[in-house]
Amino acid sequence: MDFLIQLFTDPVGFWSSHTLLISQIAINSILASSMFVVLYSGQLSLAAPGFMAVGAYTAVLMSLYLHTPLAVNIAAGTALAGAAGVVVGLPVLRLRGVFLAIATIGFIEALSLGVILNLPITGEGLGLKNPDADPVGGIYPVLISMAVVVFFLWRLTKGRLGYAWTAIRQDELAALSQGIDVPRYKLIAFVLSAVLAGYAGGLESHLNFFVDPNEYGVPRTVQVLTFAVLGGSGNVIGPVVGALFLTTLPFVFQQAGDYIGVVSGVILILVIIFRPQGIIGRGGFAFVRPRWWPRPQVSAPSTG
Amino acid sequence: MLLRLDKVQRHFGGVRAVDGVTLDVEKGAIQGLIGPNGAGKTTLVNVITGYVPFQAGIAWLESDQLTGLPAHRVAGLGIARTFQNIRLFKDLSAAENVIVGMHSRRRDDTLAQLGTLPAFRRDHRSRVNEAHRLMEVAGLDPGEVGHRPAGTLPYGDQRRLEIARALALQPRLLILDEPAAGMNPSEKQGIRELIERLNQDGLTILLIDHDMQLVMGVCTRVAVLNFGRKIADGTPQEVSTDPGVIKAYLGTGSEREVTSAPGATGVEEVAEEVRAAAATKRSAEPATAILEVRDLSISYGSVNAVRGASLRIAAGEVVALIGANGAGKTTILSALSGLIRPSSGIAVFDGLDLTTAKPSAIVRHGLAHVPEGREILGRQTVLENLELATWARRDRAAATADIATVMKRFPILAERKNMRAGTLSGGEAQMLAIARGLLAKPRLLLLDEPSLGLAPQMVDEVFAAIEEIHRDGTTILLVEQNALRALGIADRAYVLETGQILLSGSGDDLLHNPAVRRAYLGG
Amino acid sequence: MGQQILNAIFIGSIYALFAVGYTLVFGVLDILNLAHSAVFMLGAAVTYSIVVNHGQSFWLACALAIVVAALMGLVIEYVCLRPLRRRRAPPISALISTIGLALIIVAAVEQGRPGTLFAWLWVDGANSVSLPPGTFPNPTWNVAGLTLEGTKLAIIPITIALMLLLGYVMRYTQVGRGLRAVAENPRAARLMGIDVDRMISLTLVISSALGGLAGILFGVALGDISPYIGRDSVEVRGLAVIVLGGMGSIPGAVLGGYLLGAIEVLAVVLLGSNVRAGVAFAALFLMLVLRPQGLFGAQLRERI
Repeated sequence: MDFLIQLFTDPVGFWSSHTLLISQIAINSILASSMFVVLYSGQLSLAAPGFMAVGAYTAVLMSLYLHTPLAVNIAAGTALAGAAGVVVGLPVLRLRGVFLAIATIGFIEALSLGVILNLPITGEGLGLKNPDADPVGGIYPVLISMAVVVFFLWRLTKGRLGYAWTAIRQDELAALSQGIDVPRYKLIAFVLSAVLAGYAGGLESHLNFFVDPNEYGVPRTVQVLTFAVLGGSGNVIGPVVGALFLTTLPFVFQQAGDYIGVVSGVILILVIIFRPQGIIGRGGFAFVRPRWWPRPQVSAPSTG
Repeated sequence: MLLRLDKVQRHFGGVRAVDGVTLDVEKGAIQGLIGPNGAGKTTLVNVITGYVPFQAGIAWLESDQLTGLPAHRVAGLGIARTFQNIRLFKDLSAAENVIVGMHSRRRDDTLAQLGTLPAFRRDHRSRVNEAHRLMEVAGLDPGEVGHRPAGTLPYGDQRRLEIARALALQPRLLILDEPAAGMNPSEKQGIRELIERLNQDGLTILLIDHDMQLVMGVCTRVAVLNFGRKIADGTPQEVSTDPGVIKAYLGTGSEREVTSAPGATGVEEVAEEVRAAAATKRSAEPATAILEVRDLSISYGSVNAVRGASLRIAAGEVVALIGANGAGKTTILSALSGLIRPSSGIAVFDGLDLTTAKPSAIVRHGLAHVPEGREILGRQTVLENLELATWARRDRAAATADIATVMKRFPILAERKNMRAGTLSGGEAQMLAIARGLLAKPRLLLLDEPSLGLAPQMVDEVFAAIEEIHRDGTTILLVEQNALRALGIADRAYVLETGQILLSGSGDDLLHNPAVRRAYLGG
Repeated sequence: MGQQILNAIFIGSIYALFAVGYTLVFGVLDILNLAHSAVFMLGAAVTYSIVVNHGQSFWLACALAIVVAALMGLVIEYVCLRPLRRRRAPPISALISTIGLALIIVAAVEQGRPGTLFAWLWVDGANSVSLPPGTFPNPTWNVAGLTLEGTKLAIIPITIALMLLLGYVMRYTQVGRGLRAVAENPRAARLMGIDVDRMISLTLVISSALGGLAGILFGVALGDISPYIGRDSVEVRGLAVIVLGGMGSIPGAVLGGYLLGAIEVLAVVLLGSNVRAGVAFAALFLMLVLRPQGLFGAQLRERI
């Protein structure tokens, strides 16, 4: 509770004492937005941490070995993440629902275990040190980035692309009947999500002095997924709210102390049961539905 | 010619869903495509529109070849379609659904989105206006429904919305797959007028529907499919009096003379006096009934599938429930067996309230439902299916004996007892499904469309089995598309049309009732 | 080399046992139970706690641990799954609710300490422990240059016996047939008088008991019991196994388990131990792209 009290009574002090937290919220929001893009197009992709890693390591390695400016490094990391998005996205286009989820988990684990933890250049299990990091000043570019990303995605969802994605999410087959090139638009969403995740990774790597190789595995992806689903992936602001809520949860519930894990779990279950569509929910998912899962709205039974 | 199909073929495993169909559709025509259930109509449409690959044959839309194109390209060429089961984007508003339809006619505006806000607003408004216009063309009121999520609209409006969305494609050909299913006669009239209006504006239409009256009334030409083949192609008059077509719809056992395809005239059209006369002659409903249904109403979301239906069945009777497709017959049976819950009304089976009991409890109480489409467990063997059927029973020894008995009655099952149920033919699977129903030792057996998709000879065997079961004392409620056969064996029958019971009487009475004859028996 | 083969068989057995639970739930419900790995860990943790903190016999501890795991299955069904089914929530919400439960279980074990809320579950905080020597019989032999440990060897017949038992139950008993009926066509099952809800509960109980048992075997034989063994050792590998073997197929899960064990060991032998798990996920990814239904799974196709 002290946390919230300080927020309202001493905003300036709050700002300076919680810089890193605010930056982290912004980074998590960008990650959640990356998740938003794939979920909005009906794809349960859990690959975000993998692309984050691509962005982070590229940016830091370039900084360490090529001594190029920060903007260039992050741009390169983002671009490389996008390219990785194409490479991973193409083969998995046909997969739906849990199958896509598992394939993307396969990707991040393979990346983690096969590359990050094993190549000397990435520092193997010890990670990389990044002396160029700027935890304090970094908050400005990060916050601005978050605003730009959210605005960009918001406009995107209102345009032709957004309509196509929503149609695909609701019903791929019906979307096809309206002339929407479903595989192409799914790939676009996938790659865009990779770009955003790579960008977030690049930014994050310059907030801390250390790139932790353990940050890009399954626990991270579970975290990002939770931001998006808990916040509600029906519109842009949902995942951001989810990220905000969950990142600050440990601080708000400081009293819980060591039991924060238990509290988080309980809150997660309660929210999803009582608001399955998320905190800011609207719109459903067109995943491969289990046969027995009752349909929420049914039209007249088949007569043909 | 707008659409030309040349020997189109599509098999699924051993089933010839579309078997060398050749069809020409003239520009500006309203082409009907009809046929009994399972004839291949929807599969043909799926092949043309690119959802299912061609295995042989070619199709052209004017000078563009359709063969081998993916679905979105076919749509881009100008073929729009609606779906049998309505595939709207349920959580999007009605207007947004139509705007999605404009996708292929719209330029990509990603960059425009970010830049000039006011210009975009103008564009968006013009799109919304266009969506509203299309909705009006389809007979919807944009002011009232435009902003509502498509899934919450009344059923008739949803069908119209699907059409509006299809129109957004600015198509050369509009394919309507059962656009009037589940509608009452006045709603159907509205759809009919819509189709005529669209056609007058120059749109070529391909119409699939089960409602003979609609098809014969609005189409300029009609093609008939059966078992994947085209068996007739001509004007509505020619087709509805074609003996082959009549036979396809009625199957065998039609010793009576028939003059036109069943359904070509609606029950409503027959003179009032005739209907009244029929009603007074009705066989009295039994005083004591083991099944009592009163004012049952069932809805799916916004669709009122069944409205205030009442019926009674006494022990030992065979009662038939006949009516057109989409009338609500299956819905009623599903409510009786506990698979779905009615929104209001009473249904009591021998003291058990069917509206609240769990399906497993209903089965234990003695009511077995053999569903439409059989629903057998394909991956398990015939014997395993039968053994599962005795799941609810406590008397193991008697159950085993019953399995033996049932295999004697249906020898084909004994023959195939260790084969996977999925390998059985349609007729054999139906036998298995009925056997399974019997094994629950029901006092009341609900049979849903037992002759569906079966060749005439198998239909004979199935009905013989039903008669036997009846003789053994089981009470039966039979839902059948094949009204002739159903009325032939029923003690009493009810006629269901768009969710309401219109007529009831003894089997014989209804068989001779002119209204019923014209509507369901071809005169 | 021979030693490696033994390791492969041993670890494959654990994977198989764990994956069968996963695939059982997927086969019947079409969802991934992400609390399964937490139950795996719980089996080991409870065993340890009962032996070390409460001084009971090893065998009693094992029995109780399995019971606890089975009960957890009921908790998963009643807390995480059934409420969502009743509310017709989208399938993805089941992922989140099981994640929430997993969080709670892991946090509970992490925080278990004398004098705290979870004192009875006390292991050793976040540390990894093992059962003290002498707690259970563990004869060791040296045969033909190979070291054979009793516990590791015992796992193999236990696993095989259980799989045979499960196979028998699924094929030849009324209960098993009922489960298969629900997995294949819940509507038909209902019409045959099968109580689908009860079958689902039973599925979760069996699945969780198997998962807990796998955890016990893992913790005991490998001497590694910590709150994170589920997440680190089997959670993602379990996914790889069911993908390889085919989602929903029990023989597939068993075969997949051994296959994965073999692949991992092979990778270690050929490429060095670091790349080990990375290779497994590359294999997983390939399988999904080339043959999503795995070795024994059923084809998925949406009807139009």
